[in-house]
Amino acid sequence: MSAIQFPAPDASILSRRAEIVAALARLVAPESLVTSEDELRAFETDALTAYRRMPLAVVLPSTTEEVAAVLRACHAMGVNVVPRGAGTSLCGGAIPQEDAVVLGLGKMNRVLDVGFADRTMRVQAGITNLSISAAVGAEGFFYAPDPSSQLACTIGGNIAMNSGGAHCLKYGVTTNNILGVRMVLVDGTIVDIGGDAMDAPGYDLLGLVVGSEGQLGVVTEATVRILPLAEGARPVLFGFDTSEQAGAAVAAIIGAGIVPVAMEFMDKPAIEICEAFAKAGYPLDVEALLIIEVEGSDAEMDAALARIVAIAREHGVRTVRESKSAMETAAIWKGRKSAFGATGRVADYICMDGTIPTGQLPLVLRRMDEIVKSYGLRVANVFHAGDGNLHPLIMYDVNDPEEARKAEDAGNDILKLCVEVGGCLTGEHGVGIEKRDLMRHQFTQADLDQQMRVRAVFDHGWRLNPAKVFPLDGRWTPASEAA
Amino acid sequence: MQTRFSPEQLRDPAMQASEKILRTCVHCGFCTATCPTYLLLGDELDSPRGRIYLIKDMLENGRPATPQVVKHIDRCLSCLSCMTTCPSGVHYMHLVDHARSYIEATYERPWHDRLLRRVLGALLPHPTRFRFALLAAYFGRPLKPLLRPIPAIGARLAAMLDLAPSRIEPRSTMEGPAAFRPAAPRRARVALLSGCAQPVLKPSINDATIRLLNRLGVEVVLPKGEGCCGALVHHMGREHDSHAFAARNVEAWVREMDGEGLDAIVITASGCGTTIKDYGFMFRDDPAMAEKAARVSALAMDVTEFLAKLDLPATARATGHVVAYHSACSMQHGQKITDLPKTLLKAAGFVVKDVPEGHICCGSAGVYNILQPEIAGQLRERKVANIARTRPQVIATGNIGCIQQIGKGLADAGNPTPIVHTVELLDWAHGGPMPDALAEAGFADQPERAPAVAAE
Amino acid sequence: MDAGERGGVSAALLPRDEAELVAAVAAAAAAGTPLALEGGGTKAGIGRPAQAERSLSTRELTGITLYEPSEMVIGARSGTPVALVEATLAERGQMLPFEPMDYRPLLGSEAEPTMGGVVGANLSGPRRVVAGACRDSLIGVRMVNGRGEAVTSGGRVMKNVTGLDLVKGVCGSWGTLAAFSEVTFKVLPTPETSATLVLHGLDDARAIKALSAGLGSPFEVSAAAHLPGTVERVPKTLLRLEGFADSVAYRAGRLRALLAPYGSSALLEAAQSAVLWRSIRDVTFLAEPRGEAIWRVSVAPSRAAAGVAAILDAAPARHLYDWGGGLVWLALPAAGDAGAAVVRAAFAGTGAHATLVRAPAEIRAVVDVFEPPAAPVRRLTAGIKASFDPRGIFNPGRMYAGI
Repeated sequence: MSAIQFPAPDASILSRRAEIVAALARLVAPESLVTSEDELRAFETDALTAYRRMPLAVVLPSTTEEVAAVLRACHAMGVNVVPRGAGTSLCGGAIPQEDAVVLGLGKMNRVLDVGFADRTMRVQAGITNLSISAAVGAEGFFYAPDPSSQLACTIGGNIAMNSGGAHCLKYGVTTNNILGVRMVLVDGTIVDIGGDAMDAPGYDLLGLVVGSEGQLGVVTEATVRILPLAEGARPVLFGFDTSEQAGAAVAAIIGAGIVPVAMEFMDKPAIEICEAFAKAGYPLDVEALLIIEVEGSDAEMDAALARIVAIAREHGVRTVRESKSAMETAAIWKGRKSAFGATGRVADYICMDGTIPTGQLPLVLRRMDEIVKSYGLRVANVFHAGDGNLHPLIMYDVNDPEEARKAEDAGNDILKLCVEVGGCLTGEHGVGIEKRDLMRHQFTQADLDQQMRVRAVFDHGWRLNPAKVFPLDGRWTPASEAA
Repeated sequence: MQTRFSPEQLRDPAMQASEKILRTCVHCGFCTATCPTYLLLGDELDSPRGRIYLIKDMLENGRPATPQVVKHIDRCLSCLSCMTTCPSGVHYMHLVDHARSYIEATYERPWHDRLLRRVLGALLPHPTRFRFALLAAYFGRPLKPLLRPIPAIGARLAAMLDLAPSRIEPRSTMEGPAAFRPAAPRRARVALLSGCAQPVLKPSINDATIRLLNRLGVEVVLPKGEGCCGALVHHMGREHDSHAFAARNVEAWVREMDGEGLDAIVITASGCGTTIKDYGFMFRDDPAMAEKAARVSALAMDVTEFLAKLDLPATARATGHVVAYHSACSMQHGQKITDLPKTLLKAAGFVVKDVPEGHICCGSAGVYNILQPEIAGQLRERKVANIARTRPQVIATGNIGCIQQIGKGLADAGNPTPIVHTVELLDWAHGGPMPDALAEAGFADQPERAPAVAAE
Repeated sequence: MDAGERGGVSAALLPRDEAELVAAVAAAAAAGTPLALEGGGTKAGIGRPAQAERSLSTRELTGITLYEPSEMVIGARSGTPVALVEATLAERGQMLPFEPMDYRPLLGSEAEPTMGGVVGANLSGPRRVVAGACRDSLIGVRMVNGRGEAVTSGGRVMKNVTGLDLVKGVCGSWGTLAAFSEVTFKVLPTPETSATLVLHGLDDARAIKALSAGLGSPFEVSAAAHLPGTVERVPKTLLRLEGFADSVAYRAGRLRALLAPYGSSALLEAAQSAVLWRSIRDVTFLAEPRGEAIWRVSVAPSRAAAGVAAILDAAPARHLYDWGGGLVWLALPAAGDAGAAVVRAAFAGTGAHATLVRAPAEIRAVVDVFEPPAAPVRRLTAGIKASFDPRGIFNPGRMYAGI
């Protein structure tokens, strides 16, 4: 694929590479600086592997102070910086540029402090999402947002993308579960935003930082909310003959005043792919599967499930199967959360992330199918049904340039459809490079200008992750305003 | 992932296999999270995804391996935790094996590295030489403080001495070639891998296995000609040597299979088990060996897998000890045996505890702890601390390398908890003698129960 | 479009649709006329006294623009009364999750609070501990920036990370960044019933420990407050449970057992519970006497009681805690600096921040009403203000001098 353009690298930066590398070498230990071509190669992409760019250098700092020193130096030298967590972005959020230094936070992976009484926890930005929950699980707590890549993705990356997950129907997304961050601004200034109190003073800078895709600063520490684990949790599999029936059941459940912890949808191709990997006992003879999870005591779960099952029956559910053990529960979620990777067993894929009003579900499912078929491709659908966040996985052969282009075009058509029906381009993965050029389908120039003006307050020179989020043309800068 | 191999490159079957593996990888990054070296170093180059990328680039370009690539591939433990994690089914083991032999063929290591690898390759797979070397190490120990500061090799030599046991075990009375027949009527006949380093370091493991199997009516044969499985040199990329070892074993076992017959090839070191189960793949393109190797792989079983097939009787003595079960990487990731050993121990009356972070390697990994002493040491400390959190009375595992590595870690930490092979505990529970390690730790032996009688 | 110039030149601008709002702001921007932005004006007494020449109210921009119960989403023009939105939701058994407080009892104001005002003040209530504040339910905003440009951020879907999250940026900006035209929220089903567990006679520190134990339990405490001896004869420690009746009954039993070490407890049923939490939400306990200054302190619960104790040592204060101790309301004499020095010193170094919610205008003109930010945050704050409102026409100086 090559439809998405990168800015032409700055030749003057490339010519000063040796000088820049030498400056960085003075700031961090040798094992924290990657400069050989062989080794840089491994950082040329993230989980959107169709796009790749070699970085100028990779720095792997171990402290906030090192991050500040590196940013200060890059700022002084006029060098762009691309922050990177675990590199699991599906939208190319961590893809480098030839004239940019990659700032990786993999070495900053520690828990700094846990406050059980206040239900807060301070962690370094490079810790994985799941490690946060693991660190407090024995005491009965967890960190709620659970993106499917939670095993590997970092909290810093979650903050950059405002990541969601299957369970955010009840618990909210990243922005609802972060209380404060320590962040380094583009010029190396260390700033604390928010804290460990619920309301932060002044403007909601934290709200702006979460989801800013590494363009406002580099978050090095975060104070997150931890929540008490429910007494129990039980996912139940509901198999339907049609996607429409499943969609109607979702609407009816919410309409009845029930908000389950999670409501996940899979279509037949996705069921088959995930079952092959996780052996979770998903029904293979249905067209659509809902995984609905309830929480609480056994009696509470029984009561909630009785209500849900009754509604599902009214909508023609064919099979209902409850998880009977912790192992089954784990397998059910493992299958769902590995859906993207497991698709790799079948084909290459690109994963879309559009969100739609749930009432539009039947229409959108039908249209998506038509779109993908019109390109002669196949699609597997998994999505968060409760909040309309779709993840169609468009399958193709990455070694076939023609098919790759088709896959990308089909994806763009689907995202445009999402916006047309009142939704948005991305629900939880972020814009990155992938959806950058579609932004004008969702926003007017005035909308984008206002975003870019706020962005410029933090980084007026477009130094931080500059190739992402905003279309390359028509970028707002203080100079463009004056002109 | 996209790949760029020319049709000429793909004519090489090894390259073809690797290309297929690389195409499966979607670069999702899940594997980084469960990789021990990434956990410690936080550098993607020291993670499976990073290594896959390095390998891909090296193979696609057909260039000799560079020191940078070698550094990161060498740091891989081959614990295969990544394979358990990978949702896409990337066969990292075959890919990294290919990379190692490619490195061996195209890269000239520094003299000291070559020397050390040659020495290890020449000693470990050969019990007699190895026993002699241990003796030398025993006397060499006082030299350790002098060795450590030597540039380039000091730390590795010191690590080697560190791992040598402080006591040289007497030779087993049950060495092969031999057949051990059960007193009870024979219900099965198996070959037991004698192995190489294990019978020198802990002859008690195979002794316990033979006793236990005999007691259960299983004839155990140690056929002539079998020996090291080849894993040690295989992981150093020395494909030619490893295939030679493997071929010898295949021939030895096939003779038995075609002779008196075998119901299983039982292996008590999970590291060896992983390799033997892969013989079929190793010889897939060798017309003379492919079928025989595949037959061997199909019959290979970890001792716990074989025991689970037998209907074990009630134990002969009361146990009830708290056992921390350390699952060797080659057991859980290489062979995907996770619950079986624990189920057997529980059935034998032990209280089994899972070790936190149980998916992370202890740092043993064949000769890794000698070649990469620093990383191996950090992993060892981490593992010993995690084991201690379960407050066990005894630690059980199914791999000799882990026993040595964790044993060293326990000793360093002043932790007196004994570590034994799972089968030693099972043998004891079913009427065998108390394992020496337990006796030395001051365990009181449990009297044998009178054989169970029918309800009164 | 006459930009709502009804009622004379100096009267409030009252745009009736977004186009009029745009025109009114654009005209003010062109003329450099500072505007006092407001909805119903019920919270006009909060903040530093405005330095505006005219007021612009959105109270005639009314009407619910979108309500899809099965999608749990509601949108309304910014001047729509909160009461109308709440009543509309109630008809379908739904509610605003964040339980927005009503400042009228505390501030003695009248008129109708609007949805735009809720957003401008980032209101919340006792359910903040589980459902977040207004910012956490607000999913879309249409607004007019200080250039007179209509700008949209967010939308009508619950999950949306497309571009910079300006929705959060303007929520709680007290009318200093943009004039809202339309606001959209996610909503939740109203719980079938509720009950409140009451513990008696605990001192502040112990009460907060009890609240933390409740909030740290799996029993889904949806509100946790403490009414200490300064406002109740016998201190009351309160934990609310909401949900289906059988579930509430079960959890009440478990919670009682868990909190048994804190003494015996009573259980208030739904009706009583609702009245009580409304009073806590609106802080009616401190409303009288009107002459007292009111402070609102947001702090980590474990550090709340010590800060309050320091204040009580230094000044005759009354107080109560919400959010499990994470929100402290204080009433102090309005003399001098209205207790600013005492309050801020008591919480110095705790990461807490204090807002002077009620005080005579003369005092609000000279003390920091909002917690003064650290230098780099102040720079960012000034920059964001300038990015939305370069000529400084929206509520200039309301939050910080010069911003």
